[in-house]
Amino acid sequence: MTSHRDGAQLAVISHRFEAIVRRMSNTLARSGRSGVLNTARDFSCCILTAEGSVLMTGQSPPIHVMGGPDLQAQAMRQFYPSVKAGDAFLHNSPYHGNTHAADHSILVPVVDSHGRHRFTVLAKAHQADCGNSVPTTYMASARDIYEEGALIFPVVQVQQDYTDREDILRMCEMRIRVPEQWRGDYLAVIGSARIGERALLQLGEEIGWDSLDEFAAAWLDYSEARMAATIRALPAGGAITSTCHDPFPHVPEGVSIQASVTVRPEDGIIEVDLCDNPDCVPSGLNLSEASSRTAALIGIFNSIDPTIPHNQGSFRRVRVHLRENCVVGIPRHPASCSVATTNLANRVGNLVQRAMAEIGEGIGMAEVGSGMSPAEAVVSGIDRRAGKQAFVNQIFTGTNGGAGGPATDGWLTMDDLGSGGTLLLDSVEIDELKQPIIIHKRQIAPDSEGAGRHRGAPGIDVEYGPHEGELEAIYANDGSVNPMMGARGGHAGARSAQFKRERSGTLVGLDICGPVRIADGERIVARTSGGGGYGAPETRDREAVADDVREGWISIARAIDIYRVAIDATGAVDHVATDVLRAQATTSGKNQL
Amino acid sequence: MASDEPLRLSVDIGGTFTDLVIEEAGELRLFKSPTVPHDPVQGILDVLRMAAQGCGTSLAGLLGRAQTFSHATTRGLNAVLTGNTARTAFLTTEGHRDILLLREGGRRKPFDFTVPFPAPYVPRSLTFEVPERIAASGKVLHALDAAALEVVCDQVQRAEVAAVAVCLLWATINPAHELRVAEALERRLPDVPYTLSHRLNPSLREYRRASSASIDASLKPLMSAYIAELTARLQEAGLTGRILMVTSMGGVMDAKDAAAAPIVTLNSGPAMAPVAGKAYATADLGADTVIVADAGGTTYDVTLVRRGEIPSTRSAWVGEEGIGHMTGLPSIDVKSVGAGGGSIAWVDAGGLLHVGPQSAGSVPGPACYGRGGTAATVTDAVLVLGYLDPLSFANGSMTLDLDAAMDAITRQVAAPLGLDVIAAANAVLELTTEQMVRAIEEITLQQGIDPARAVLVGGGGAAGINAAAVARRLGSRHLIMPAVGAALAAAGALMSDLTAVFSATVPALTTAFDAERVNAALAQLRAQCTAFAMRIGADPKDAAITLFAEARYPQQIWELEVPLRYPAFATRADMDRFIEDFHATHREILGISDERSAVEIVSWSARARIALGRSSALLTARAPEPAAISSRRAYVRGSGLVDVPVRPLATILPGETITGPVLVESPFTTIVVADRSTVELGRSGSILIRPIHTAQEEREAA
Repeated sequence: MTSHRDGAQLAVISHRFEAIVRRMSNTLARSGRSGVLNTARDFSCCILTAEGSVLMTGQSPPIHVMGGPDLQAQAMRQFYPSVKAGDAFLHNSPYHGNTHAADHSILVPVVDSHGRHRFTVLAKAHQADCGNSVPTTYMASARDIYEEGALIFPVVQVQQDYTDREDILRMCEMRIRVPEQWRGDYLAVIGSARIGERALLQLGEEIGWDSLDEFAAAWLDYSEARMAATIRALPAGGAITSTCHDPFPHVPEGVSIQASVTVRPEDGIIEVDLCDNPDCVPSGLNLSEASSRTAALIGIFNSIDPTIPHNQGSFRRVRVHLRENCVVGIPRHPASCSVATTNLANRVGNLVQRAMAEIGEGIGMAEVGSGMSPAEAVVSGIDRRAGKQAFVNQIFTGTNGGAGGPATDGWLTMDDLGSGGTLLLDSVEIDELKQPIIIHKRQIAPDSEGAGRHRGAPGIDVEYGPHEGELEAIYANDGSVNPMMGARGGHAGARSAQFKRERSGTLVGLDICGPVRIADGERIVARTSGGGGYGAPETRDREAVADDVREGWISIARAIDIYRVAIDATGAVDHVATDVLRAQATTSGKNQL
Repeated sequence: MASDEPLRLSVDIGGTFTDLVIEEAGELRLFKSPTVPHDPVQGILDVLRMAAQGCGTSLAGLLGRAQTFSHATTRGLNAVLTGNTARTAFLTTEGHRDILLLREGGRRKPFDFTVPFPAPYVPRSLTFEVPERIAASGKVLHALDAAALEVVCDQVQRAEVAAVAVCLLWATINPAHELRVAEALERRLPDVPYTLSHRLNPSLREYRRASSASIDASLKPLMSAYIAELTARLQEAGLTGRILMVTSMGGVMDAKDAAAAPIVTLNSGPAMAPVAGKAYATADLGADTVIVADAGGTTYDVTLVRRGEIPSTRSAWVGEEGIGHMTGLPSIDVKSVGAGGGSIAWVDAGGLLHVGPQSAGSVPGPACYGRGGTAATVTDAVLVLGYLDPLSFANGSMTLDLDAAMDAITRQVAAPLGLDVIAAANAVLELTTEQMVRAIEEITLQQGIDPARAVLVGGGGAAGINAAAVARRLGSRHLIMPAVGAALAAAGALMSDLTAVFSATVPALTTAFDAERVNAALAQLRAQCTAFAMRIGADPKDAAITLFAEARYPQQIWELEVPLRYPAFATRADMDRFIEDFHATHREILGISDERSAVEIVSWSARARIALGRSSALLTARAPEPAAISSRRAYVRGSGLVDVPVRPLATILPGETITGPVLVESPFTTIVVADRSTVELGRSGSILIRPIHTAQEEREAA
């Protein structure tokens, strides 16, 4: 092996690194205990260079792995300049590169037999509970970190010589509500990191550490070159997009934000500026530095060739400008970042990809449905089916709709931008077995898609209630006031909504944020957000419109009014009538949103 | 073969070839003839005629001596993949119309927005809601509305469907409502076949059950017709023996049972390879942990044997994981990757080499086929490296164009990488090897097997090219290339048993264990196994019954299969042993265990296995006609193109040890040993290779 710059060797070794990350992720997914880890798949694994560059990432919710692990690894180097084999560090501090307090990261330095730090592996998993002052890991109402109440670990050594420091674990067990589940997840996360460490040690022995270092440099250069080439082929231009998060506790007007995106093909650079935004708010909505950067990066990478590797090499070509003490920037302690991975992060990513769409045809995306609706609530109560036992669990019964893009319609079970659709949907039977609830309905909400040439995915209607008892649901929705926008003439998706169905059958509107108590015989009725459409709906393929009508995704009226497609009695496209409708649309329907 | 010695026949229909393996007195012979896509039974009769001729007898003479005829077909699978199944209606609980549409969520490639959301297996327009509801306890919350059911039947009639699938929530706990629907369907649509989810697949999770039922129902018209036609034409040609269909669980079942639940045969293709792999690893090396790699023209299928058992999975997909459809039923765990001779090698804009995922298939095929293909493929690289004889490809049925291969590799790989053509071809092969290794590492990890400690068995027409390199990369001590390796699946069917699987959803927790209820379920499962044995005309005493629990730690979502040591939980000690077994299995497969935790059992299952005749006996291959030893210019790592001896399989004598480099040729495949690994003949006639692992070993061998 003479030089790893050879594209053949680079391919072979990159396969080896990919396989290691995949192995770490598989282990974590299968051994994890909490629903948020194994069902929502809210975890990630990655390999970093010793200097702290993200080298290889795997399949995971995108919000976890793009713009944070490097900051975390750098914090580890700062606090522990010399590391030893057998060390492991617990890190969940949003002020030191982590996403938010509920994501517990384990960093393991990979140290060769000469004691030299070669790589760092990172495994991060969202916890079922993190010791907040109330039983949710997404505490929107927290005015600061003290009110939030989570235990914060700013790079704390949790293993030495491959042995747990039990005092740290005892601290967690004293503060975290489901200590057994937490301990099970901790075992899974540390197990995954150790599997990555072992595999890298074997690879280093087999191929040689210096060769691996050479590979790492070449792989990052290759990724940067791919990214630069892709940007050079994009149209030059800039766009400023703006949006507003729905009103929330302590932010009665909501949070209005904007993003300025500039594509500079001549330099092979994209700039994202988030500085011109409000200061931190007294709420859990503030983004951490990691989630601000990552959300912007997701918006960019969703907009371009998906085969470009996602690592520090390609990230070098995207400059994200953030400001200190900004609600979508770098938070200043003690601002709370409790919901930093979802609500505003989704809004930021959506702004960026919509700006990309406005810059040129064939790139970018509309906005992905967003918000943690009651369809994804943390439900709690007393299970009386066998004795009397308290239960608390997050259920994932209905997802938000995906966004239309240049190539396809929105992905139905996308859920939100940060998850990238990786979340699994609960089985109704499993949910009803786990806790005393009945899920009466779960199906797509017709006519709730953002219309477009490529339409957004519709929202989902979910209706559930307690089974012989009562329950409490905690959630933190968005998109009930300000819907998810379309791009390039595409329409917005339908707003999300939440109601209580009383025993009489009457629907009563619910607040956008839980908690809410549901008594025996009552039900929660939730509709999740529809995704935005891409391109003008009256340019949508006629057969696709007829198919949507036949399959019950949209009504005939909507086909006529919005898509300007007439359907005959057999369900087929009436082409003559459609020609007339579409001719009218081009002259009169231009200002429709 | 002009005796009246009874024969057993096995036919495996693949995309390109129909393979026939004949067993006579413990000896196997292999025949291959082109598949006839529009009339697969014709392809079967063709290969049978070819064999009859080879044996000096008539077709009727051959078939008249056959005791059994085992058959694996991808007919059902292809119908599902291409959407050519029957028009099927789906009936489900009111409010849950989108069970098949939503699947279980999960997107595999988060940044790739070029893949559309997949369509449901049965369209929404053919999905009908039945007003009814049963709770997790089995209690009826909302009685089935009989009048509404009649209206649903009216709608189904108007929809002119050829099959109906029924999946109601909690039918596994209380089947009353599904049975009421069945009664209505039989009365209202007497000629339309239907499948009830609780009968076919009594397991938790409505999507998987609904998917099982829908796939099964949609295959019924097609597979009943196929099996009826197959039976009639074979009997007309002289067959009097039993016709058996291969199942996705690596067993066989009577053809009429397969017609009643055709989904059970869906993934029969790769399911037999581990059965054969297990037999050869036992016969040649006495090994019980095996990796079986079956290399075809377009896919590379990896299966396993763990301590003598072939692991199965309940999360098998038809089509691509995440966007295909889940079968929901247990099937042999297979990892398939699109790596084959047709995979295309290319270099991207950043100068990185890729192999696949695009494939040139067999039409137009690799550049060297001379059928108009211009893409550089793995087969082209293999030819450039001298591993294939251009004049005797596929038993001499085809001539390969070396110049076209050189040209394609030069233009599409060597030039952009700045390498010479040989180095470029070798790079393509190395990357292919890496992809195969990755597939093996993934499945072995999932099943808790250390690949370096397992025996690797190579099968399939393209296996010989990479198998030795893959074994070296995995650190395997032994590689077995069975003499019938080119038809491993067909041979496996002759070594398999009659099998059936039954399961029961009786959730249980070890800390609050209702032994009476569980024991009743286990007794019921055993009774089902006994009934199965009697139905197929076997003595129930000959049925080997194994009971399993599908268990996990509470709150986990993946179950692990743990065999039960006892037929029932009689004492506390039985429970403790089971709990210990679970922790040990969890540790083995996932690397950790949580001794402090309770264990939750999601379902119980029983597997019945009834040995067929000589299936467990050692099967050796009849040696082909000997040919002369020759040599060919071929690539050897570290030496470049050199003269490498070519040894026809029949020239290798028992007890002889050959040190590589060497090319071993049999009529249907070439085994490449491009380093100083050693080669010898196994007891069954297989080729045994001991790979060299390190440069030091290489020097020592030299």
